[in-house]
Amino acid sequence: MKIRDLELEFSRRTMMAAGAGGIVWGGLLARLFQLQVLESERYASLAAENRVKLELAPPRRGRILDRFGAELASHRSAGRVTVTRERAGDVGAVLSRISDLIDLSPERRDRILRDVARQPSFVPAVVANELTYEDFARMNIHAASLPGVEVEMASTRSYPRGRDFAHVLGYVARASERDLQRLTEGASLTERELVRRLFKHPDMRTGRSGIEYTAEEWLRGTVGRRRVVTNAAGRIIEELPSDDLAPTPGRDVSVTIDADLQRAAIERFQDESGAAVVLDIDSGDILALVSTPAYDPNDFVNGISQADYDVLRANDRSPLYHKAYDGLYPPGSTFKMVTATAALEAGVIDPNERITCNQQYWFGNRTWHCWKDGGHGPVNMHEAIKGSCDVYFYEVARRVGIERLAETSRKFGFGHRWDLGMTGGRSGVVPNDAWKRATFGEQWYEGETLNIGIGQGYLNSSPLHLAVMCARIAAEGRVIAPNLVGDGPNRGPRDIVDAPLDAEMMQRMKAGMFGVTSEWGGTARSSGDLGLGGPRLAGKTGTAQVRRITAAERRSGVLKGDQIDRKLRDHALFVAYAPADNPKYAAAVVVEHGEGGSRAAAPVARDILAHAIRNESGRTPTYQRSASNAAASTSRGAL
Amino acid sequence: MTWSGEIRTSAPSRARRFGRQTNFDKIGRIPWGLIALITGLALFGTAMLYSSTITNPENTGLPSKHFVRFLAAFVLMMVLALVPLRVWLAAALPAYIVSFILLLGVEFFGSSGGGAERWLEIGPFRGQPSELMKLSLTLALAAYYQRYLKEASGGLLVHIPALFLIFAPALLILRQPDLGTALTVIASGLVVVYFAGLFWRVIIAGGIAGIIGAPFAYFYVLKDYQRARVETLWNPSADPLGAGYQSEQAKIAIGSGGWDGKGFTQGTQSQLDFIPEQHTDFIFTVLAEEFGFLGSAAVLLVWGAVIVWGFVIAMRSHTRFGRFAAIGAVSTIAFYVAFNIGMVAGLLPVVGIPLPLISFGGTAMLTVMAGFGLILSVHIHRESKLL
Repeated sequence: MKIRDLELEFSRRTMMAAGAGGIVWGGLLARLFQLQVLESERYASLAAENRVKLELAPPRRGRILDRFGAELASHRSAGRVTVTRERAGDVGAVLSRISDLIDLSPERRDRILRDVARQPSFVPAVVANELTYEDFARMNIHAASLPGVEVEMASTRSYPRGRDFAHVLGYVARASERDLQRLTEGASLTERELVRRLFKHPDMRTGRSGIEYTAEEWLRGTVGRRRVVTNAAGRIIEELPSDDLAPTPGRDVSVTIDADLQRAAIERFQDESGAAVVLDIDSGDILALVSTPAYDPNDFVNGISQADYDVLRANDRSPLYHKAYDGLYPPGSTFKMVTATAALEAGVIDPNERITCNQQYWFGNRTWHCWKDGGHGPVNMHEAIKGSCDVYFYEVARRVGIERLAETSRKFGFGHRWDLGMTGGRSGVVPNDAWKRATFGEQWYEGETLNIGIGQGYLNSSPLHLAVMCARIAAEGRVIAPNLVGDGPNRGPRDIVDAPLDAEMMQRMKAGMFGVTSEWGGTARSSGDLGLGGPRLAGKTGTAQVRRITAAERRSGVLKGDQIDRKLRDHALFVAYAPADNPKYAAAVVVEHGEGGSRAAAPVARDILAHAIRNESGRTPTYQRSASNAAASTSRGAL
Repeated sequence: MTWSGEIRTSAPSRARRFGRQTNFDKIGRIPWGLIALITGLALFGTAMLYSSTITNPENTGLPSKHFVRFLAAFVLMMVLALVPLRVWLAAALPAYIVSFILLLGVEFFGSSGGGAERWLEIGPFRGQPSELMKLSLTLALAAYYQRYLKEASGGLLVHIPALFLIFAPALLILRQPDLGTALTVIASGLVVVYFAGLFWRVIIAGGIAGIIGAPFAYFYVLKDYQRARVETLWNPSADPLGAGYQSEQAKIAIGSGGWDGKGFTQGTQSQLDFIPEQHTDFIFTVLAEEFGFLGSAAVLLVWGAVIVWGFVIAMRSHTRFGRFAAIGAVSTIAFYVAFNIGMVAGLLPVVGIPLPLISFGGTAMLTVMAGFGLILSVHIHRESKLL
């Protein structure tokens, strides 16, 4: 009987559960009926007028500051006109009415129509940026009668120093589909959605190169929300207070560069194209990183026109190219200190041994030449550096051999991509047998070693490499790593080539470099005086051969600069440090197609170093003062 | 007559007459009508996802992803349907233990998504153990009652371990914090206990304790944001831009749908992105806005039919295990549907519960389809003996 009871109880409970379920379902159905049938009209009108919206509020992008806090990248307000298809209806008609008010080229109109068609109908498309005050006022008066048109003050990325920092800072632009893919990689579905929506906002930009690119997350800040009331046409009529939802601005980044020195260096180049790097020997901070000519990053913020971009690309002085970090040049004679160091390390030469230079050097069945007509006569190491004697270094390089020469070059940082925490940067080439077999499938010939000994041949390096080499000599072998970011992500120094260099050997190199600028027979004697009534600089000239001098030309006399096309002229190089007796700054200068190092590059380097010393203020960089604050703050700049 | 978990029946049994069922026999017993309803709901869900993501060109992959997931889960359901009940019974305890350990894993190593820690990653797998627990708990309760519920033991004692089985994982889920899932787990577990014959006086006493305890829980257990969601239920216009925003916008979407809706992909609320989470938990707003009362009532009634069908299957099972397992599975699904629509329609506070088969979301799809697999298995093996 017990069994029957359980069964009966189960049936009874099933009935009751069915009843309960029925009540719940009936309740839900009744609720839907209430909302959708009984109160439908009320909600329909609410939907039509529903215009309290939460909009995404873009965060203000962090600034980029120089060593002493001067703004290199910041913001500026500018009038902007946008149109929203959903509210405008016929966008073409609205645009033609706008073009009566402000200047709107037909190409621009086509582009807007294309943008509008591609985006969802409720996303505003930018009609005009950076309105003049008159245009802004005129548009404001007429906007009310133009459906779907908004006139507002927008915040735009601005680079107050223009071209000076083009390659260092890079630039920002509207996020393209490719940018979005990159920015949302690995994010969850909702984060991805949020980032995509955020970047549709007309104020949002993303870094495309330089620090703007590598520090993107740090600079971006955290998205907020904005509560707005819109009218039936969708125009924002009121903004409600929403401090709790406000976006968190991005964080500032400080670079180690001194904007004044950067400016002075660029001015000194005048119309020449080239690159300059100035290092603080003490800290490794990069005080100037110049590549000139440059483009104006402000032109890129709202999208550069194809025509303007083509002009930049066609320019034979390559303004788009970062010559100081990405440019590779044979180091030429500036490399001779490396060859000399390699010889001393290998013990293949006594510094006092004299080698006689008759302008010619025979090896195998070929002849190598020294640059100096008539030769240098018998020279020891000091004189060879001072007079930049090629024959001496052919002989020394032959004795050292390519493998040991390559090894010593790497100690100076050649062949290594210095990581500055920004885009670009190249390692250059330090050739040896293995490299040549891998690259050309051919063994190394001893004759090629001679070219490497004077910094030519396969060897190449960027101006940054030359500056680091010079700084390591000036610091008598102390390990120095270049550093570009003072405060921000990728704060430096990022990497260090920790190879010991003998202090006594480096003193010998310094003596040679001092001879170059300050002793009888030095190749850059005219540039030795900084013009500050005392301190001198020490340096080394170099010439990077662009074309090959044929035997026939050698016989008839080597052509002079003005006899050949500019593009075929040699690059002029100079590395230097100052003050010579107590080095604080190291510099490398490349003047493209400037011919001789002593004539074209040395005076530039001298004036840049003189400027650095003259304007020394003893100020400490702002990021050192704020470093402790930064360490204490745990908030991240990520979205 | 010795009676071990088997319920007497007067219907002649094919299985008894012909011995073991072949897979071919089993397929012949599949209730195709139920399968048609399930498939219909999933297809409708795909269409609604299409509509809800059409204005976001980046989300265009979601509907097809949803459909592919449904197909994969469908295969799983059919395979599970063929699994004999004794295998389910044998798997019950291990499955419960594994789910419990995974839940503990979330407690200690979980990763968060959307503010709550409910995801666990093991190697390439990433899932919500709380979803797995729903099915495991159902099986564990059914297995427990199969074994220990004797005709003589209508007393209270036999139910205490069952309650422990329910509340131990529910508290872990509550800590994640995932209020919605915890409530679903508790509610569907209690339904099984109710059907197992817990005394009415205990049920009533529990109900009274619940009512008295509710204010206490409201003030001391719920978090601020959860309290805010409850408050907006009574007074939705108090803070239309803050906690009540989602709820208020959802109501506007549903209400403005009217009698027959604004038409497929024509919902202004949905298309203008007024409603957050509209392709997951708030998908019902899209269909209510675009298909009106006719559409939303139809979906509600189809779900009702599916649930009733599930209960009928439970009642016709000859074993306690089969009966309780089907009840547990079907009530889990029923609570999903009721909580989701109740929340979207502004009757319940906003807790994150998806609408099965229609909302976008992989783990929930798997749980629900595996639950249907269990129900189908109970149906197919309704006459098989367990001992």
